[in-house]
Parts: sequence; C-alpha cells; structure tokens
Amino acid sequence: MKALDISAITFSYDLATECALQNFSMSVAGGEIHALLGPNGAGKTTLMRVITGQLRGYAGSVFIYGDNASQSAGLKNIGYAPQPVSVFTALTAYENLRFFGVMAGLTPEKLQERSVAVLEETGLVQYAHKNVSTYSGGMLRRLNLAVALLHEPKLLLLDEPTVGVDPQSRHHIYETLTALNATGMTILLCTHIMDEAQRLCSRVTMMDRGAVVFTGGMAAIDNLEKLFLEKTGHHLRDE
Amino acid sequence: MILRQLKELIRKELLILLRDRQTIPLLFLMPVALIFFLSLALQGVYVDKVTGHQISLVLENASRAPKALQLEKRIGANKLIRLIARPKGYDNDKLFEYSKAHAAVLIPDGFDDGTKPVEIHFDPVLDAGYKMALRSLIASLAAEVVLGVDDIDVLVANFVVEKTKKNTQFPSPLQHSVPGWSIFAMFFIAIPMSIGFLREKNIGTLQRLFTYPVSANLVALGKLIPYYLINLIQFVLMLAVGFYVIPQLTGLTFNLGEHPWQLMPVTIVTAAASTGFGVLVAAMARTPEQSSTLAATGAVLMGVFGGIMVPHVVMPQFMKTLAMISPMYWAHQAYLDVFLREASFSYVLSKLVILTIFALICFYVAGRRIKWM
Repeated sequence: MKALDISAITFSYDLATECALQNFSMSVAGGEIHALLGPNGAGKTTLMRVITGQLRGYAGSVFIYGDNASQSAGLKNIGYAPQPVSVFTALTAYENLRFFGVMAGLTPEKLQERSVAVLEETGLVQYAHKNVSTYSGGMLRRLNLAVALLHEPKLLLLDEPTVGVDPQSRHHIYETLTALNATGMTILLCTHIMDEAQRLCSRVTMMDRGAVVFTGGMAAIDNLEKLFLEKTGHHLRDE
Repeated sequence: MILRQLKELIRKELLILLRDRQTIPLLFLMPVALIFFLSLALQGVYVDKVTGHQISLVLENASRAPKALQLEKRIGANKLIRLIARPKGYDNDKLFEYSKAHAAVLIPDGFDDGTKPVEIHFDPVLDAGYKMALRSLIASLAAEVVLGVDDIDVLVANFVVEKTKKNTQFPSPLQHSVPGWSIFAMFFIAIPMSIGFLREKNIGTLQRLFTYPVSANLVALGKLIPYYLINLIQFVLMLAVGFYVIPQLTGLTFNLGEHPWQLMPVTIVTAAASTGFGVLVAAMARTPEQSSTLAATGAVLMGVFGGIMVPHVVMPQFMKTLAMISPMYWAHQAYLDVFLREASFSYVLSKLVILTIFALICFYVAGRRIKWM
C-alpha cells in the first residue's frame, strides 16, 4: 500500500494570482525515506500543510495509507515536525509531550510509555522536566521531532529537521531517522541540504512553482545538487 | 476523549499564563493598586462637601461681653469647624497663602451692642460651597445669640423642612473604584490573550495543533475558558480586597447593596464581554506588538468614555451620552445598580443584554476573521 498518495492537487491562497500547487501528484511507498526538494517558494510548505490537513479547499485528493487526509483517520497516521520549532517554550518537554499526546488521543498509560520512549530516542531524558525556554537549538529540534514521533505515526513528515543545529545534533537526528525507518516507518523529508537527502533517502521528488519537475530513485543520481540546479534553474529565488 | 482534550487545552493555557511573570501583576496587582490609590484620590469628588470635611478656622474675639463669648463658644463647638490658633507673625494674607486656615472670623468689640458686625475673611481660593456654608453657619449662630434662642432650626422648622431623597447617584469612592478598576483589569485580559494567540500562530504550535484530530471549536474553547475563569477570579479578588482589606487600611466604607446576589449574573456577563473583546483583538492584530497596543488603547479609551477614569456622575451631559458607546459604561452601571440603587433585576438585565450583544458581536466578527485568516 502507498503510504502517501497525492493526486492532482491544485491550491491557491486567497487573493493570490498564482497557484501555490498546480496539478501536483506524487506518491511515497510504505517503508521508504523520500526526499522532497525545491527552491524557496516552490510550494513545499504549502504541500506539507495540505497533507497535514491544515489547508482545505483544494482540488484533488490526498490519501495516507488509504485514508483521506482531511479526516481524522488520515491524520492519526501522520507525525509532523514543522520547520519552525513548534513547541510551547513556557512548558517542559514532558508537559509538551503530555499536551500533544492527549491531542493525538493517547491513553494515559500509552502516553507515559511513549513519552519515555521518544525522550530516550531523542536524547532528552535528563532534560525532560526542564523548561523548554532553556533548551539549545539542537535540543529544540530534537523535541520538535519527539512530539512528531509520540503517537507512533506510520508516516513521518519532516520539514527541514536539521536547520540551525550543530553537527552533533544533526548526526543524532540522522541516526534516529535511520533507526525509525528500519522499524518500518515511512518518512517524507523536506530539505535544502543535498548531502542530507542523498545520505538518508532512497527516492526523491523535486518541485518548482507548485509542480513536480523530477521524481526518481536516489541510487541513479550521481550529483544531486547539479541535478537540482538543472531542474529548477540557477537564478535566485527571493520571492 | 473530547473532554480530556479540552481539559488538557485549558491546563496548557493556565500553565503558560501562570508562568508569565508579567501577566499576573498586570491582571491582579494593577487593579488592586488602582482601587487603593484612586479610592483615596476620589474621596474629594464623592465626599459630602460640607459635612464630610471640617473648615479650619482662626477665631478671634476682641470683646469680653457675654454675647460675644457665647458666640465664640458656639462657633468653637460646631462640628463643621476645626479651630486653629493663628501662627505667630501671620496676618490673614499669609495665613491663606500658606494654607494654614480656610477662613478667619473676628468677633469685634461692639458686637453685643450691635455697633459692629462679625467679620469673616475667606481664603480667596476656597470652594464656593464652603464659603456659603460657613457664612450661613456664622449668620445662624449670631442670630441665635442675638435673639436668645438655643436652636434656630427649631424656630424655623415650621417654615422650612428638608426632604432629601436617598443618594442613588453618588457612589462611595470604593463603590466606584472596586467595580470600575475590576472591569478595567478584566478588559486588560485582551493583552495576554491576544499575545498568546498570536505567539502560538507565529511559532506554529497552533498550526501543529490542527494536524491532530481535534476540532477548531474545541481549540477555541480551550483558549477562552481559562481567560474567562481568570476574569471571574479577578472580580472576586477585587471585591474581596475592596470589601475586607481597603476599608481596614483607609477607613472608607463599602456597601454591597440590598441584592448582592445580582453580582453573579453581572460578573458572568461582564467577563463574557471582556473575553469577547480579547478574542476580537487577537483576531484583528497581526503581531503581538500590534495586539498589545490595540488592547491597551482600546481598554483605556473604553475606560475614559465609560466613566471608569472620570466618574460618570461628574461628566458633562455630552460625555454622559457618549459614555454609552463603551461596554465598560454598561458593566459599571450594572454594578452600581447593585451597590447603590437597590435596583430590581429587570432593571439590571437591560444592561446585561447590551453587554451580551457586545460579546456576541465580538465573537462573531473574530470568528469570521479567523476563518478568513
């Protein structure tokens, strides 16, 4: 079964003259780590928001393990770590996990068990009861990931998970993702770091101006950055 | 599951609020300080002008005649008068210039035989009401002494009768300040509420929340309930401070009125109006800076118009009419109905209906705006 099946999505924001997504289709097979690449303004974040049910009113369809993404059954299969670290800084890591765990519908026992597990996976156990406002950038990224993993999603969506972190934290995140994938978790990794994509992912989809410009296996690509520039152009993207 | 989610949403909101070191002083200490200091400051506005203050008076008697001595004794015994001795080297000009006395009265030699009248010298800046009161008092006392009667009021009782209605317009300083500044602080909830909403929107936790199977209405409710509860707690605490603490410290009195139970519906509706204002600000502002400016300016303007900053009873007619645009006016008047006017609930209800309409409009506009966003 396909983990993610996106079919002919077209979406534009209110008052916008251009479509943010234009007849966009892609699929991710279960168990793979799939890279989603695109220059700034390509529509990656919009796509993530469509998949995670934050944006409605689009044409086309999104299915997650066979369930419609706009319904709660579909959402339950998704773990999403957005690009901005989206946790409550006035709370502790443990309190953040409790909050998002309850929102995900975990039972108290399961929540307790999973909180300990994800804190261990992300190396935050000893800081679990410290206020998140005292965390370093790397710790915040790991907590962002821990929240996404809490309810054991089948499909993990990561938007720039290693932005602004030191090599140690980045290495830790890579190891965590590899280990998770080994357990059968499907991962869609949205990134600007070509080495990261090439190191972790088995397939890649490149998008630009809301449409797919390339999709294929990573093994067949010698130089990902060169291919990316060929497909999306060399000009600056400041919009 | 929905109830558990709602409980967790409320818990999260309260934890964040309680850990914010700026919010709690803003919401609780600011109104206490305002109630305390402004009640004291407003004493001069509300106190009964003539009987509430004593007039400091230098009384000099140049005659040793019996009537002059009797007049001196009667003036000194009147409770409106506080006699002071003329400081050494102070003539009347210096006396008033240095605010040592409000007036000076001289009983001249010749008062007994009617050749010289009693002289009253007033501080030129003394309130006209005090001048008139002192002048009438001295005239009455002089007449009593000259006519040989004990109490001139008894003599004129058949001609003049005073019938004063019970005061339903002038609240005591505490009756004004406690509801007034409590309402003001309740509307200030818009600041932490809107900042919290925008902060969550900016860091993405709000968007992240919507990736979970939780409805937007539940998220909204989870945000509203904690602030609504805080509004209720604010008023109860302010009332307790105004009723139990401040009278002990200042000697001011605070009367809850004949139907204190009416405070419950008034507070419940006022809290809804202030929470509605908070939601509206959160929906209209784009940045936390914008929201705090909008909320603070809005609350201050509503306070100015609504008779919180300047008591409604002392406003000119034009401003009294304009006051009705402020929800704070309706809330404040509803509280004064309870404290002061012993109003029936149907009388208070009309004000509560207006506040409810205000709250509903706020929620509706904010809902539309958030949906559009």
